[in-house]
Amino acid sequence: MNHSMKAALYQAAALTFEELGFLFPNAELEPGQKSAVVDGMVNLDFYGPFNGSLILRVCGEILPTIAANMLGQDEPPSVALQQDVLGELGNVVCGNALPLIAGREVVFRLSPPCILGTESALENSAAQIQIGLEGGRADVFLFIKQ
Amino acid sequence: MAFNVLVVDDSAAMRSIIIKTLRISGVPLGEVYQAGNGQEGLQAVEENWIDLALVDLNMPTMGGEEMITQLRANPDTENLPIVVISTESSDTRIASLRGQGAGFIHKPFKPEELREQISFITGVSNESFDEGGAVSGSGFDF
Repeated sequence: MNHSMKAALYQAAALTFEELGFLFPNAELEPGQKSAVVDGMVNLDFYGPFNGSLILRVCGEILPTIAANMLGQDEPPSVALQQDVLGELGNVVCGNALPLIAGREVVFRLSPPCILGTESALENSAAQIQIGLEGGRADVFLFIKQ
Repeated sequence: MAFNVLVVDDSAAMRSIIIKTLRISGVPLGEVYQAGNGQEGLQAVEENWIDLALVDLNMPTMGGEEMITQLRANPDTENLPIVVISTESSDTRIASLRGQGAGFIHKPFKPEELREQISFITGVSNESFDEGGAVSGSGFDF
């Protein structure tokens, strides 16, 4: 596992959830966070000096809370809007992680976010991290194509 | 005097967040228009009086860079104040956008960053926002 990639993924995810979702992340997961059930996944492909994809997975029914926080609403928005929020979270995590990994001089192009089924395969990632968020967690996986 | 603002982003959620942040920032707002890509953004500029465009980069159909290029190539819109709001972090790409006269804000962003960047790109001082938004020499009538 590449530790600098993991550090980049964690830094980008923590910044995103704190500043966009208004949730304070914790690095050491509590038992309830570890066992939280997956409730949404999004994939973003990126193209640049190296190609690959980033998958963001949220677990523990935190997506409705994050979406409501981001939109400034008391009640969670529609499922469609929650998925839109998940896509934007993935976009921001990916957009912030790549320059931490590859430097600020290089240019990456990102694909539009693509919502995945919660059972999608996640093997052979180059790096992955978990981040505790209230009663749930977020997982970030980075895949690099050879 | 208030700004008529166009928000261009393919995410409806992000458009809502930007508009909410605009309201929190204290920038005086008139009409707020929304578009889901650069093509729709150009159409909105053609059909409405826009004082300021807030534009994402990576969008389907037409991205923000192409939209900005077309705006700058049109004598009617070549001086339209534009702020790009994006996850883009490449210094090379950001410098290219600044070269086209666009401001830049990196996602995620805070209301004060949005306010400062709008002040910088429009030439309206921060203090003027609180006083009602008098224009200070930008050449635009808001």
